[in-house]
Amino acid sequence: MPGRKPQPPIEGICYGTPLPRDAILRGLEKLIGERNLFGAELNPSILKKEGSEKKFLVSKVPSRRRLLSRWESIFRNLIVPDDLFGLLSARTQEFDHRESLFLFGKDRVIYDTQIHHGGEAVGELTLYFFSLYDRRFGLRGYLRGKRLRIVYIEHVRVREQSSGYASSLFRRYESLFRNLGFNEFRLKASLSVGKYYWAKEGFDCLDRSELRRMRDRLRALVRERGIPVREIEIDRLNHAYDFALFRRDAKIPAYRNREGYYSLFRDEEFREEFHFPLGKAFLLSSSPWDGHKVIYTNTPRKTGIVTSGDYLGHRTRTGHVESPRRLHTIWKEIGKNGLHESLISLEPYMPDREFLERIHEPQYLDRFRAAVQEGKRTFSTRDCSIGPGSFEVALLAAGGVMAGVDAVMNGRVDNIFCAVRPPGHHAGKATAMGFCFLNNVAVGAVYARAAYGAERIFILDWDVHHGNGTQEIFEEDPLTYFCSLHEHPSFSFPGTGRRMDRGKGEGYGFTLNIPLKPHTGDDEFLETFDREVIPEIESFRPDLILVSAGFDAHRDDPIADLDLTVRSFVHMTRRICEVADRFCGGRIVSVLEGGYNGASLAASAVAHLMTLQGRREPCSSESG
Amino acid sequence: MFVGKRMTRTPVTVTPEDTLLRAGDLLHVHRIHHLPVVTQGNLVGIVTGSDLRNFALKKAAAEIAGEAMVAGRNVGDIMTRDVVTVSPFDTLEDALLLLHRRRFGGLPVVEGKRLVGILTKADILAAFIDTLRIEEIGVRIEVILPQSTKAIQKMIETLGAMDLEVKSLIVSPHQGNFAAFVRISTIDVASVRKRLRAAGFSVPELDHFLG
Repeated sequence: MPGRKPQPPIEGICYGTPLPRDAILRGLEKLIGERNLFGAELNPSILKKEGSEKKFLVSKVPSRRRLLSRWESIFRNLIVPDDLFGLLSARTQEFDHRESLFLFGKDRVIYDTQIHHGGEAVGELTLYFFSLYDRRFGLRGYLRGKRLRIVYIEHVRVREQSSGYASSLFRRYESLFRNLGFNEFRLKASLSVGKYYWAKEGFDCLDRSELRRMRDRLRALVRERGIPVREIEIDRLNHAYDFALFRRDAKIPAYRNREGYYSLFRDEEFREEFHFPLGKAFLLSSSPWDGHKVIYTNTPRKTGIVTSGDYLGHRTRTGHVESPRRLHTIWKEIGKNGLHESLISLEPYMPDREFLERIHEPQYLDRFRAAVQEGKRTFSTRDCSIGPGSFEVALLAAGGVMAGVDAVMNGRVDNIFCAVRPPGHHAGKATAMGFCFLNNVAVGAVYARAAYGAERIFILDWDVHHGNGTQEIFEEDPLTYFCSLHEHPSFSFPGTGRRMDRGKGEGYGFTLNIPLKPHTGDDEFLETFDREVIPEIESFRPDLILVSAGFDAHRDDPIADLDLTVRSFVHMTRRICEVADRFCGGRIVSVLEGGYNGASLAASAVAHLMTLQGRREPCSSESG
Repeated sequence: MFVGKRMTRTPVTVTPEDTLLRAGDLLHVHRIHHLPVVTQGNLVGIVTGSDLRNFALKKAAAEIAGEAMVAGRNVGDIMTRDVVTVSPFDTLEDALLLLHRRRFGGLPVVEGKRLVGILTKADILAAFIDTLRIEEIGVRIEVILPQSTKAIQKMIETLGAMDLEVKSLIVSPHQGNFAAFVRISTIDVASVRKRLRAAGFSVPELDHFLG
């Protein structure tokens, strides 16, 4: 557009706003002149694996109009073609790209090159750039032309000793493509080492059911070989990455053939024997899988989300405010804001009873299961409405937090939000109340301690109700700090959580209750939060922060009387991210508790998520 | 409610021969204010924290003025002999009114002359907390209704229709009406308030809470 000044570069030579068409055209002309740009289609015979023909049927350059429109639809004119060409083929660590080409296909731009090191060809690389419509964008996204931008790694082959180069190349590419607004890497992990390598690099199965099949196959393998692996260890494998790192202590033999493929069984073809860790051997010999990796568009932190359609299976009676619709509205809002492009999506798993019993009495769990099995409509109190699926879903909610703890503690994500239900913070060792059955956060805390050695855990509860269950569980534990901000107990359920309750026995001083008068607004609330909560976290120096994130303190929420807005949730999230960065490597596991007005719940949860990602502008204490 | 149900059954006691120092220590250690004075299980007097304090101040003042010291080193020398007591079969209301009107802090409980317990302000507070079930799970809501049993009945029916668990209920006069303080155990208080308002009751906003 003439007269419009390009905004400052994001990084290097990519711009935040589209560049004028004549600049794009000049770049295209330059590449054509240097014989680096052609038209091309995939050679169909290559797909049928017939011989070693050329990969592409190179044709003459398409019309300028077509080139320009394709460039715009894929790269949104954020970069000039010759600049991108230069960035893709830049020489690093003595490696350079030769005979590089840009090929314009029908719907894609292809980058094809040979990798050389010290004058010697060591590998090849082919990338496709294209965009497609994703169902999750919804009709509105479709009409607005919203598309998922994808870098498809069609082919990469480097000599084994140069694999470090491939890793560093893709790290560089990732930040480049992030600035260009690309959403995902995709590939087919079919080559021998690739199946393991890509999983280790953070690629996950595009099709979640593939992951389920992998778990089944691994389970069968373990059973067949009699390897001492517990069921729960396999259940919680949630990502190809988990497979890659699975049980490095248990080694099993794998056999390699001449072409470098692996099998777990020795035969005529697969003869050369190796010993690999269980997960690695399993992936190396697995069948090919379609992988993808989210490129973290503009999010400084990697944020995950644990949620599942199974959570809808806890059906409360008609008219009950804690309804499955709550999750629906959150999912919808996430879709509307295009967050799934940048969130790492994980699934919950069924937890071990062992971890549940560290929190809840076995008889209590049995009573709960029996009530569900007998078809009772409520458990313990009328608030706790149950349906046929409630027991399993409640377990899955606790397992969701465990999956969140897994992801944060093994570093796959920086922080995570577990959108689970039913909520948990009112559930005590042997009591259900206030819509809660199992104390999800508490299970997460003991799991983080038992499985990952997180010693000091800070639980922040900003649900509008006092987290009496969590307090009861940890009030004697000096290593688990419980801090709750809530509406004053004289006015609000459950009528506990007064300032003078500061813990018991050894845990005295490791519980902090901050009751707030009804109709407290953002300013007073945040002033209290900054003055009282932050210094407590700082002096406690936690290894992990858990958040009982209820959004029912919002002023539109029907169930309570605080007058907060989204601003408070953004501010608090921002602040705990800062302290988490200082003390525990940013590790935060946030767990959904209450929030009963669809609109305010969804808006607050999404704002919370975006702040966890580091997207929202940093706030000063005055402006929130 | 009877005194016998609410009193402290094993009070800390002294004998008339005990020293004042020991009495002071006992008050301090047990964080109490009243020591019944007993000989062979029979109440003979009472000594309180105030008695000890007053004696100590008087003694100090006498020393400064150079006057001859008031005699007395033992509990028996300063205790109150004419003790106001209650029996276990007196009601809590009796005790409450005695404490309030005569400005006492505690009352020894006797059967005949034998000391069987003590009832102090702390026991009354505990009775209050237990009766209202303040420490238990629940929320208090306030409902204003006309001073008639019909109105109370209607309120109870409205609450009953919601199948609520009522923890405690107090009805007391309030500006020509009744104010009912109902403690219920449900998280969804808002919808309870809404239903009560729909049934024609006045439910004050939290800003105008009665107390």
